[in-house]
Amino acid sequence: MSEANGGAGAEDADDARRPSPLGRIVDLGAAAQACIPGLYAWAVTVAPVAWGRGAPLLAKGTALMGLASLAAALVLEHRRPDDAPRARAVAVWGLAATSALTWALEPSALSLLRIDAARGFAGMLGWAVFAFACAAPPVRRDEANDARVVEGPPLRPRTRLAQGDIVIISLGALIACTLQVVGWRSGPAERAVLVRLVALACGLATLGAATGVALARHARRVPPTRGERIRRVIPWVTLLSVLVVTRIAFLVFTGK
Amino acid sequence: MQLFDGIALAMVVAAGLAFGVGATALARAEDVKALYWLVVGIVAVQSAVQIVRPRGA
Repeated sequence: MSEANGGAGAEDADDARRPSPLGRIVDLGAAAQACIPGLYAWAVTVAPVAWGRGAPLLAKGTALMGLASLAAALVLEHRRPDDAPRARAVAVWGLAATSALTWALEPSALSLLRIDAARGFAGMLGWAVFAFACAAPPVRRDEANDARVVEGPPLRPRTRLAQGDIVIISLGALIACTLQVVGWRSGPAERAVLVRLVALACGLATLGAATGVALARHARRVPPTRGERIRRVIPWVTLLSVLVVTRIAFLVFTGK
Repeated sequence: MQLFDGIALAMVVAAGLAFGVGATALARAEDVKALYWLVVGIVAVQSAVQIVRPRGA
């Protein structure tokens, strides 16, 4: 019994020592911390310009060089922690210079007519955070103070998410995300807003249904009988069948 | 995973496909087609939820 408790305690201690995702970011160096907002700023303001309509190939190349400069800063800082200021300079000047080149190669993409307010604000915020992260000293874990922290027993979840649930919910999330890709180039602004709203609602409905299917697998304290299930679902399946048959009939009669 | 879970999951996927076709039709201003596929998606989602719902829920 005590051995079992000891094993569980050791496992708990291991869990507690395992760094959280936020802890891992804190453990990164200054350039690596700055790369995260840099990547965001690049994705919002540089990538749409480089991969927009009519953008030259050279603009795509300079945009990719911006990403490469962020990666180079990460590698440099990881290999030589003492060269952190140099790595930071590579990230700042590399990304800023290549972004400026990309914008210069496709200046029409930055006109007010082609940038909406939300994207402009998001881009401004991204560059501001990137500048702040580059200028501010890195947030580091204080090893001396860590030793004085008395760790309590780690919080344990009451249950773990079953593997099948993760697959089902991930499938729902994938479908919901795929629906957001549809209809970004639909004509007038009113139609575009309607498409976005409908796609968002459809994504939420799909995600909700997938979550419901996953959770229902564990909520069967009183499982319904096969007949009850069939009775319950028959109206909906009938309606679905009517819709499908109507569609087939429509296609047959119109000869499409 | 039971048979009914599989059927429900297939219906969720079918609903996603119907929603995708509906949203694409809406973007192309084919409103009747969009309405049809969106209704198919809603019915498929509702069927999926109903088929796995526990008794009394």
